[in-house]
Amino acid sequence: MNRILAIAQQPLTRLFLVALIVLSFQTTIFNTMRPFGVCLQVMLLLSTSSGLARGSEIGAIAGFIVGMMYDLVLSTPLGLGAVVFALVGYLAGMTNSFVHQPTWWTKMLLAGAASGLGMLFMPLALTIVGREGVMNRHILVVALVVGVTNAAATIPAERLCGWVLSEPSEVR
Amino acid sequence: MGGLTRRRVIAILALTSILLITMDLRNSSSVSSARRLFGAIFHPIEGATRVLTTPINNIWHGITDYGDVSQDNKRLKDLIARQEGATIANIAGVREAQELLALNGLPTLAGIDSCTGQVVGQSPSNFSQTVEINRGRRCGIRVGMPVLNAAGLIGKVTESLDDRAVVMLITDPAYSLSVKIVNQPPPVVTVPSKVPESPENQTTTTTSTTTTTTTTIAPKSTIPGFTPGATIATLPNASPNAPSSESTIAGDIRPGQGNVSQITVPPGANLPLRETGALEGRGLSRNPIVRFIENQPRFGVVYIGSPIVSSGGATSLAPPDIVVGTVSRIISRSGTLGPLLEVKVAANLESLNFVRVLLYQPTTERPSAP
Repeated sequence: MNRILAIAQQPLTRLFLVALIVLSFQTTIFNTMRPFGVCLQVMLLLSTSSGLARGSEIGAIAGFIVGMMYDLVLSTPLGLGAVVFALVGYLAGMTNSFVHQPTWWTKMLLAGAASGLGMLFMPLALTIVGREGVMNRHILVVALVVGVTNAAATIPAERLCGWVLSEPSEVR
Repeated sequence: MGGLTRRRVIAILALTSILLITMDLRNSSSVSSARRLFGAIFHPIEGATRVLTTPINNIWHGITDYGDVSQDNKRLKDLIARQEGATIANIAGVREAQELLALNGLPTLAGIDSCTGQVVGQSPSNFSQTVEINRGRRCGIRVGMPVLNAAGLIGKVTESLDDRAVVMLITDPAYSLSVKIVNQPPPVVTVPSKVPESPENQTTTTTSTTTTTTTTIAPKSTIPGFTPGATIATLPNASPNAPSSESTIAGDIRPGQGNVSQITVPPGANLPLRETGALEGRGLSRNPIVRFIENQPRFGVVYIGSPIVSSGGATSLAPPDIVVGTVSRIISRSGTLGPLLEVKVAANLESLNFVRVLLYQPTTERPSAP
C-alpha cells in the first residue's frame, strides 16, 4: 500500500492522471464550445503553466508528456504535438526566468504569447512532415483566440501545475 | 527530474520525437498498439466526462446557436415542402437506374452492405478534420471504408477500434479521391415548329409552346439531361439529318395520330458528358478542389452547378457514383493544365449526425498478407 502511495505521489504519475482528466475535457466540452470557430487548447495551457510553475526543463518534460497524450487521441503523427508542446513549455519557463519578480499579469502575458506561438508552431511542424493545406490565414485567428483564452486561465492552471509537479516531500 | 541538464533534456526529447514521428509515418504497428492501448484507458474517462459536461454544453449551444437553429428550422421546413414532390420522382429514377446497372452487370451501391453510426465527437485539433463515430470493428468497419450521410460522401475511415472509428472528412488536406464531373449539356433552345394557321392546328401549336418551355428549363435541373416523366415525340417523316430544333414536341397525343411516335429517353446529344479528376481537401475554411481535368473540347465548358460523383475503379477509395457535391467555382489555367474546380460539398460537414459506412474496403487499403 505504501508503495502504491509512493508511486501516486510521484510528480510524473500525478501529471499523467491530471493530464488524463484535462484531456477528457479537451475532447468533450472544449471540443464543442468553439468561440470564433476555434477549439480552445487546455492541453497547451497545461504545458505553458508547467513551464511557468517549475521552470524550463520541467516545463519541457511536462509539455512533452502532455503533448504525447494529446497525440495519442489525434490523427496527427505521434510525437509531433509532443515536440511542439515541449517547446512551448520550455519557452514559457525560460522567458519567465528572465522576468525580475514575476507578477500575475506577466505570467498571463507569457502564457498567452507561448500558447499563441504554439498554435503557429503546430501547422509549421505539420507542414514539415508533409501535411499540406494547414498553413493559411485562419491560423492567425487560432493563435490569437487560444493565446487570449489561455492567458485568462493561466493563474489557476499555474497553481494546479505547481502542485502536480512538486516533489513528494512538498505535498501536504 | 531535477538532475538532468538543460542540453541533455532538449536532446533526449528531440530525439524521442523524431524517432516516434518516423515510426508513425512508416505505419509502425507498435504506434498503432500504443494508440489502441491509450484509447482503452482514455475512452471510459472521456465517456464519464461527456456525461458530466453535457448540461454545460447544452447551455452553451442554447446561448450561441439559438438564432441559427431558428433560422435553420424555418429554412428546412421550406426545403422539405419543396423536396417532397421531387423525392418521389427521384426514387423512381434511382430504382430504374439500379435495375439498368444490375441488368448490365455493373456495380451499384445497393449491392454493398453498410453500417449506420452516429457522430459522437469531432477532432479536438484546429488543424485536422476528423469525426468519431460510435461504430467500429464489431460492425465490420475497417480502415479505408467510405462514409456518407443522406446528402452524399463525407469522408473515409482512418482508424477503427472495437466500438469506435475515426472518419477523415473530405475537407482534410490529406484526403484525395478520384471523381467524375458530370458536365451539363449546353442549353437547348427549341423553336416551335411552323404549322399552317388552321383552326384544327391551332390546338397543336398551343401544346407545343407549353412543352417547349419545359424543355428549355431541363438543363437547369439537378440531374442534367434527364427530365423524369418527360415524353418527347418526333415526327417519323422528318429527315434524320434535320436539326433537332426542327422537331415538333408535343405533349398531348390523341387517338388517331398514328404518324407521331413517342420515346421516353432524352436525345443523345443532351446526355451528360463525364470527365475524371482528383478531388483534394484544403482544410476547414476552404472548399475542396478537383485537379487534373483534361482540357479537351469534347468535354466542353464546365458549368457551375455540375454534379461531382465518385468515379470508382479498382484502386479508388470509394465505389462509383456516390454524390460528392457540385462545382461552385471554376479557376481557369493557361495552356494544357485544365481548369481547377472548387467543389461545394453536398453534405453539411458542420452538423453531421447519422452517417453510413459502406462496408467496401478499397484494394489499396487492404492489409497485405505477411
